Amino acid sequence: MTAALRTYEDINTRIEGGDVVVVTAEELSVMVAEGGLHAAAREVDAVTTGTFSPMCSSGVILNFGHSDPPIRMQDIRLNGVPAYGGLAAVDTYLGATSVSKARPEYGGAHVIEALLRGEQVRLDASSSGTDCYPLHDIKTHVTLASMNEAVLFNPRNAYQNYSAAVNTSPRTIRTYMGTLLPRMGNMTYATSGQLSPLLKDPSFRSVGLGTRIFLGGAQGYVVWHGTQHAPAVREVEGKPIVGGGTLATMGALREMSPDFLRAAFFPGYGVTLFVGLGLPIPILDEAMAAAAAVPDTGLYTQIVDYSVPHRDRPSLGVVSYAELRSGSVSVGGCEVPTSSLSSYAKAREIAERLRDDIAAGRFLLQKPVWTLPPTGGRRTLEMG
Amino acid sequence: MERKKYILSFPSEIVEIPITHTFMSRFGLWTNILRAKIEPSSGGKLVIELRGEGDMIESAVRYAEAEGVTVRPLEHDVAVSRELCVDCGACVSICPSQALSLDPCTFRLVFEPDKCVVCGSCAEVCPVAAIRVDF
Repeated sequence: MTAALRTYEDINTRIEGGDVVVVTAEELSVMVAEGGLHAAAREVDAVTTGTFSPMCSSGVILNFGHSDPPIRMQDIRLNGVPAYGGLAAVDTYLGATSVSKARPEYGGAHVIEALLRGEQVRLDASSSGTDCYPLHDIKTHVTLASMNEAVLFNPRNAYQNYSAAVNTSPRTIRTYMGTLLPRMGNMTYATSGQLSPLLKDPSFRSVGLGTRIFLGGAQGYVVWHGTQHAPAVREVEGKPIVGGGTLATMGALREMSPDFLRAAFFPGYGVTLFVGLGLPIPILDEAMAAAAAVPDTGLYTQIVDYSVPHRDRPSLGVVSYAELRSGSVSVGGCEVPTSSLSSYAKAREIAERLRDDIAAGRFLLQKPVWTLPPTGGRRTLEMG
Repeated sequence: MERKKYILSFPSEIVEIPITHTFMSRFGLWTNILRAKIEPSSGGKLVIELRGEGDMIESAVRYAEAEGVTVRPLEHDVAVSRELCVDCGACVSICPSQALSLDPCTFRLVFEPDKCVVCGSCAEVCPVAAIRVDF
């Protein structure tokens, strides 16, 4: 660790005083390339990041309020999409990937987007009935405004890094990495690279319980490490592949916007939710500036063959985000066109909005209660 | 010499009229049929690229319309909704004719109708249903 340059308190004092220096991670890369790391680390107080990517492990905690007579909801559907019925009487969790039986291309993510747009959502619930909750069935409508609580709670967001996907088989395959054309006809990837939150603070020095973030257009929080948090850094072909750290996040759905939370449908795979998320990184010392400044040319991921129907799929090599973003990548002598599934334009918009909110004194940096574990792998599930 | 792409809609009554042949023989146009689905019983659509003098292309379009064909420039029937598009880029590598790309500076989606072959692959994979292909 290098010598301390500033504390959270110093940064927040400068934010409140209106003289904080805050730039996006893209802008920091340029500053470091032009004026050197030493000067940039001393000038910049905080750096902002952003991502806008499909994140399946997302959903909302809802409380509808009680009807008269009251019901203890067990089978719950919102616009036909099943929500969890194993909580208290009128509490539920609606997952983004839950789908309507009648319309498999319509799911929880679409209901979340409909609520955000102020639309009425149909609620059908049934119960076996109890003495204290005598009602058996309810058919009604709810809106975001009519409910007691609507909290976005995402068990796994913002994967630190993710493999690029190809398909070497002779048939088109439909995956959560999009449609993959036969014989390496295309390649998809899903990380904002040099703007990606956890790639810019790779040892999570500013990330943990209580870190305030941009979430879905509002201010939200990191509440835990995400599920499958596996941040071990590996060397592949002599290049550091930063691991797969993840975030569990939470925030008030009512304050969010459909510009930064959008339902998505991948044909042959299903429904998921585009989540817009931005992490502010305090530049506490030169090492944090160095990590936050790494450009796409210095960030790598693996190319993985999704046609292999197994947990551990073979790697076909290492590629930089600069190559991925160029539009095509050379694999074994073939030029393969690339597609991002994550919007870089939105990622940049999020990083810029967070930068402007911090500069205007609307967003203060929150020091986490504890930071995420910087190491650790992933367990597997054995059959039988 | 100009190049233009059109989508021609044929009602069933006029499928016998040799429209494409007339484009070539009477108007001296170079034609390239990119996609076609026409049934004698129900009519159908044809995606065609026309090359030739601008006034001859215009005359050919007027001729086809007089015969009962609905002629629409391709970009009227293939459209990306700026309101819905999130500029993810999922469609970019699926497009067989490089008609879709991300602007290298803004990373926003760019659609070039003159490269489009109206295959519809983009509309199928768009996760937010922002692309409309009427064919």
